[in-house]
Amino acid sequence: MSMSQEEIEALMSGAGDIAPEETQEPQEEAPTEDLVEETPSPTQEEVAEVVPEDEPVIDTEEAQEESEVEEDDNLDNLDDILAGIDGIEDDIETPNEDTTSEEIDNKDESEVAGEKLEKMIDKNEYPLPAKDENKVVNQLNQVADDSEEKASQIFDVLSFILDENSEIQSYNKNMGIFIEEQIKLLDSLSIKFPNIAVFKENLENAKNLLESSKDLDDKVNGENNKIFEAMELMQYHDINRQKIERVMSVIKKLNYYLNGIFEDDSGKPDVQIAKHIPGDSSEIVDADDIESLIADFSEQ
Amino acid sequence: MRILIVDDSSTMRRIIGNVVQQLGVAKDDFDEAEDGVVAWKLFQEKNDYDVVLTDWNMPNMNGLELVKHIRTADKTIPIVMITTEGGKGEVITALKAGVNNYIVKPFSAEVLKEKLDGLVKG
Repeated sequence: MSMSQEEIEALMSGAGDIAPEETQEPQEEAPTEDLVEETPSPTQEEVAEVVPEDEPVIDTEEAQEESEVEEDDNLDNLDDILAGIDGIEDDIETPNEDTTSEEIDNKDESEVAGEKLEKMIDKNEYPLPAKDENKVVNQLNQVADDSEEKASQIFDVLSFILDENSEIQSYNKNMGIFIEEQIKLLDSLSIKFPNIAVFKENLENAKNLLESSKDLDDKVNGENNKIFEAMELMQYHDINRQKIERVMSVIKKLNYYLNGIFEDDSGKPDVQIAKHIPGDSSEIVDADDIESLIADFSEQ
Repeated sequence: MRILIVDDSSTMRRIIGNVVQQLGVAKDDFDEAEDGVVAWKLFQEKNDYDVVLTDWNMPNMNGLELVKHIRTADKTIPIVMITTEGGKGEVITALKAGVNNYIVKPFSAEVLKEKLDGLVKG
């Protein structure tokens, strides 16, 4: 819990007896090392060892062609069925292929890639690559730095207004001195020449102008006070920056902890993992399937 | 009056500088440092400061370490800690290290004026 200024004052009054000494201070966080190691890619020889030479290789292009022909046949059948049913209208607008392709062509490649990535992220399908621009701590650091820069620029603007106001007040002060002199002059003239109305009129005008000059000074003072208030409020920028730094510190410590807890220091090489295990949701071949596959291959 | 303002935030240094200027301190009469290392170097080189206003959490050398360094060289110079650390424990730690007064951010210009007036007159 934070202390109020009054509580601090109370502590100050009782702090005279406290002698300076070495004390515990908040711990500076130690730099953490990236403990993630890269997994080497398998060489051609390693692949050859795993895949026997006599194993039949499925031609992917041929398989794709076959599946496309099957899909076309199915679509023809579907069209035939739909044509045989009354009351079906083409009320669903299908996107114009020409327009769509044009639009896609017009779009920048990176823009399309960005949209695709965004959709994948929305579906929680694709983790962001661990590049510098995606690293959370880097991003927070960037936000804190940008914010500091902008706050400094805002301060420049406020300081400029203060300086200009100071200059305005300086001009206004000189004008006030001049008007006061004019008032004295017009006052003596209007006393000496009471029948000349213009002296009296100008005397009144000069007095009004002096009042306006004083009002202007008050308004500028009021504006300056508001600027000082704004400057005081800018302390929250520093407070918010420190909050961001606290979040960054937590993330760094969490990263350090997770790296430690998931670290494999057994020294054993990575095991090969099974792709299909009975009990998985994917289709698993049964004994009959295996027998028939063996029979098929024997015939070949 | 010569003042040393120490804070890693340039905005905070300017805010504090503005307040001390309102107190009548000329721009040339205060120096700024962004961390304890720079501040300690300035303190040793110039050796003519009347007051030190320092933040706590800063990179390289924090405010508490700076206070301890200054106290080894000068037992009397008034030091005011201006920080977001508002815990009782932190205030006591700072006082034990040799801080004369303590201000929790955000502060009003009036508070800083009062504290500085008190230190200078005292």
